[in-house]
Amino acid sequence: MAENEIKKQAETEEPRIGVFICHCGLNIAGVLDIKELVEYARTLPNVVYVKDNRYTCADPGQEEIRKAIKEHKLNRVVVAACSPRMHEPTFRRTVSDVDLNPFLFEMANIREFSSWCHPNSPEEATEKAKELIKMAVAKSRLLRPLQTIEVPVTNKALVVGGGIAGMNAALDLAEMGFKVYLLEKSESIGGHMAQLDKTFPTLDCSICIEGPKMVDVGRHSNIEIISNADLLSVSGFIGNFKVKIRKNPRYIIAENCTGCGECKDACPIEYPNEWDMNLGVRKSISVPFDQSVPLVYTINKDYCIECYKCVDACGARQAINFEQQPEEIEIEVGAIIVSTGFDVYLPYDDPLYGYGKYANVITSLEFERLILAAGPTGGKVIRASDGHKPHTVAFIQCVGSRDVNKYPYCSNFCCMYTLKHVVQLKEKYKQDVEVYVFYMDMRSPFKGYEEFYDRARELGVNFIRGRVSRILEVPETNNLVIHAEDMTLGQPIEIESEMVVLATAAIPKKGTDEMARVLNLTRGADGFFMESHPKLKPIDTPTDGIFLAGACQGLKDIPYSVSQGSGAASRAATVLSKPKWKIEPIVSVIDPTKCRNVTAKCGICAERCPYGSIKVEEKKAAEVITAMCHGCGTCVAECPADAITQMHFTDAQIVAQIRAALETNPEGKILAFLCNWCSYAGADLAGTSRFEYPPIIRPIRVMCSGRVDRDFILEALRLGAGMVLVGACHLPYDCHYISGNWKMKARMDALAPMLQKLGLSAERFRVEYVSAAEGVRFAELIREMTEQLHTLGKDKIIAENAKLKPVLENMLKRKQQK
Amino acid sequence: MPLKTMKTDTAETLTLEWILHVKNYKLTIDKNLCVGCQICVLACPKEAIKIEKQSKVQGEKARKAKVDADLQKCNFCGICDVLCPYGAIKVTLNGEHALSVVEKESFPQLIRDIQVDASKCPADCVECEEACPLDLIKISRLTADGKVVENVGSPTKRKRKKLQVKVDVDKERCPCCRICEFKCPEGVMRVRKFFYGKIVIHPDKCPEGCTDCLDVCPITGALYLSDEDKKVRVNELFCVYCGACKVVCPVEEALELKRTKTSHTAVRSGAWNKALERLASPVEITKELKAKGSLRARDSVEKRLGWKSA
Ligand SMILES: Cc1cc2nc3c(=O)[nH]c(=O)nc-3n(C[C@H](O)[C@H](O)[C@H](O)COP(=O)(O)OP(=O)(O)OC[C@H]3O[C@@H](n4cnc5c(N)ncnc54)[C@H](O)[C@@H]3O)c2cc1C
Ligand code: SF4
Ligand code: SF4
Repeated sequence: MAENEIKKQAETEEPRIGVFICHCGLNIAGVLDIKELVEYARTLPNVVYVKDNRYTCADPGQEEIRKAIKEHKLNRVVVAACSPRMHEPTFRRTVSDVDLNPFLFEMANIREFSSWCHPNSPEEATEKAKELIKMAVAKSRLLRPLQTIEVPVTNKALVVGGGIAGMNAALDLAEMGFKVYLLEKSESIGGHMAQLDKTFPTLDCSICIEGPKMVDVGRHSNIEIISNADLLSVSGFIGNFKVKIRKNPRYIIAENCTGCGECKDACPIEYPNEWDMNLGVRKSISVPFDQSVPLVYTINKDYCIECYKCVDACGARQAINFEQQPEEIEIEVGAIIVSTGFDVYLPYDDPLYGYGKYANVITSLEFERLILAAGPTGGKVIRASDGHKPHTVAFIQCVGSRDVNKYPYCSNFCCMYTLKHVVQLKEKYKQDVEVYVFYMDMRSPFKGYEEFYDRARELGVNFIRGRVSRILEVPETNNLVIHAEDMTLGQPIEIESEMVVLATAAIPKKGTDEMARVLNLTRGADGFFMESHPKLKPIDTPTDGIFLAGACQGLKDIPYSVSQGSGAASRAATVLSKPKWKIEPIVSVIDPTKCRNVTAKCGICAERCPYGSIKVEEKKAAEVITAMCHGCGTCVAECPADAITQMHFTDAQIVAQIRAALETNPEGKILAFLCNWCSYAGADLAGTSRFEYPPIIRPIRVMCSGRVDRDFILEALRLGAGMVLVGACHLPYDCHYISGNWKMKARMDALAPMLQKLGLSAERFRVEYVSAAEGVRFAELIREMTEQLHTLGKDKIIAENAKLKPVLENMLKRKQQK
Repeated sequence: MPLKTMKTDTAETLTLEWILHVKNYKLTIDKNLCVGCQICVLACPKEAIKIEKQSKVQGEKARKAKVDADLQKCNFCGICDVLCPYGAIKVTLNGEHALSVVEKESFPQLIRDIQVDASKCPADCVECEEACPLDLIKISRLTADGKVVENVGSPTKRKRKKLQVKVDVDKERCPCCRICEFKCPEGVMRVRKFFYGKIVIHPDKCPEGCTDCLDVCPITGALYLSDEDKKVRVNELFCVYCGACKVVCPVEEALELKRTKTSHTAVRSGAWNKALERLASPVEITKELKAKGSLRARDSVEKRLGWKSA
């Protein structure tokens, strides 16, 4: 809609409201008295036209709305029919067909909320429907036209972390035709997979399958690898991120380096190779492993003695530059995929295992480097103490994982990689090696995994169920004695082994906290990045335009990291493929003249916003970054100065609904604030399932329970509401807006005792958590509350109200004066 | 096994170690052999070695400075091993003496030019053996059939003449002070120094009664006490320019020590240039480079020092 049209509609002083009442066949008309509703609607202020249709949503019904808008110069439309969760988008389109701003439309839910849930009390149901229409009309009088916000989209992507997940995301996006920057912190892409020997359950060589992919990434004309670099900062929003990156010096001019490695041969200095888990060494000028991508050498100045032998060896290629400095670059992208992977726990701090103390205790990742043919021992599994091949090897599971004192979660892939290790050992050394596995539970739930477990069992591996209590070294032989409780036999056992391999927990990558800060991501209790919704948005993050892939979101093995990489690429493509990104205008807007932060230190809104979309700078009014706002309205309810407005759910609009609902017989009613995604949906479900409950509830829809201002409760009670209910999504994680329900809870937890002190019966103000699936529960809840309301009795309620009213009036007035 | 790094400090030795699953890097400093000079400190490219002057107990002799090495900084390159005049430092890989900087020609070796023509040695002469301040010379006599003669006095004079004399010098530990050469009555020994330089003591600046430098100098005769004024004087003939004296000298200006030239195998190496710069002086190194015709390297040194605009 054109800008000037919006202005015109906004300036139109006097609302001219058209009300359309739907029969929905007999779904509504079978219970409610439509005629009475029509008559009633005509009496409402500013209503200039009322019409009933058999099916308003059908073409003829929609056409009637369009016609009426034109003929009667309607500037507001109310449809009383089904749930807005069903047809609001339909009717918004209908009105905008004839140039009425879609946000000047409102629905009254008289089907799910009336005819369907009160079929046996048609009179009361009709009464309720009238009030639902009245509430909708009251709100519609205050509606304002809104412009859908559009932001341009830079159709390039940034992938942070070049492990197998990030590589796949980058390749998919590049194949779709988008330019991708692949930022890798270390010298080469590849991630942990490049460190592995074989992969379960097929035992194919890891680098043989990953290497070609790495090369594809390196060669793809749409991918630019930025390796040996750090992410410094990210600003902007979906479609428009500005990213600062520091390229750390390699002291090699990448364009000139041919990767021949002649410098390496000339270099006299060696240092422990982290890529080899420090089991082996690399040269001061080298690549971490032969298949590195990009194949550009790096000088480690911590060890280099600057003999310049490499410079001589490099000769005419002139690829070495000792003066290279860190370089900061800025790139612009429309979407970001985070795939920073994980780290492995090194149990130095747990004396139980003797790691770091006993030479022959190693971690599983170290074992990978030992058994790898290209590894520091040339693929020989040998003991550090004497260089001999061990004849017994014991594997210990869940080291640090599933341990309440360390990492309570399961690290997901350790069972499977240990099975891989035992199969490898058994197949390599056959009868020559005895293998033990100490485990709590063997987890092998995916395709081909249980069969792999069988293969290990058939090879004669000893699986012992039980936790290890301690490991001690035999000083003469450097063998290890493992003490454990065999749960199957129910008795303690002791096993002497020549080598011990610890399947240690996989933990959040070092720097995850910093990354979370830079990208404004949240982390779960386990420290990994949190997705937007554990089921329906497992790849999205709370920040629009930023997606997750691989182990950084939660531990997963290679096939799942690959899948999620592709998933993240497709999610990112939904943004990148559009020239403009549309943002629902139901966002928060701050009135800078009211914001306290100008004169004092406030910033409460920024602190409470689940999306970090409010910018607060000292001595300046807080500012909403519109493109990041998800429109939950939590900040609006939190602002102590009432300086924030949520478009389409303004204080005035909601108060108008409250007042309309409670105009008559307030003591006999339950006024309910229901959040759109869970409790409102739960109430809808009660209707669609035809669960009956008493018709005394008057629901007001808000996007999130976080929007429910304490003043709304006070206002409802001031007007004498029999009961007030706030319905929200279940704690802890169900909230559609991450934590709006928690913010609401904190607010109401403070309010409830205060109200009780003022004389309100505790039952009269309730916060309840109802999911979209809990129609039964919603109906039961209303039945239970109605019963309580009757038990309390009207007289008691009126008496309480008389006492409360002056205090509440005072509180609300004081606030308004401020 | 995860990487283990270790430092062990005993009365006899100081060791640094990197113990990897399959490799073991070790640096050992023999504290008895160390004289507390400053060569390794100046040579180390990682500034991993420090030398600390010992506090002096009134009335006692000055003690040699104490050496210390930093596990965090050392990268086991072995440059200190190469340069230690007294052979006090050894760098090994898996127990074997390993100097990859030398092997890869990224650092030169000192030329310990010690020539012995034992054919001229009288069978009963032990002058050099007795003169060596560091006890590095062993003289032995063999019969024609290769048997070692323990007691030189026992054979007859004629037979004695037929004995073959062998002079073994522990070259690795020899600082080439030339004392043996000067003591040898027959001109058998020929020794060339590997550090050249200048050492001057200004007796007027020496505190009354101070003999600290003399106390720590490992080379007998390089410094001596003057009978006239009881102050220390230099005999440059024997000084090896190790700087042990300079380290302990309490008065900055009293003792001047300058190394100008070294005798080493030929290499092209930035690391050596830098070591030389610290061991001698930038002036000396540009001279050396000029002599060698390494113009590019010289340019880079001059640029780094700001003598020449980049
Ligand atoms: C011992 C062991 C054996 C295993 N064996 C198997 C197996 O046989 N089969 C199997 O399916 N799975 C196996 N796994 C699991 C497998 O390693 C993971 O599933 C896989 O590596 C996850 O890939 P990723 O890309 O998410 O993370 P990673 O492989 O960890 O890659 C993350 C990448 O991001 C980079 N990065 C990190 N932080 C930043 C930053 N701040 N900025 C830029 N870049 C950054 C890292 O350098 C790295 O390159 C094994 C794991 C272990 C520990
Ligand atoms: S200058 Fe450094 S990187 Fe180059 S060869 Fe010498 S030690 Fe190795
Ligand atoms: S160089 Fe000198 S000070 Fe350093 S260890 Fe050798 S003898 Fe001691």
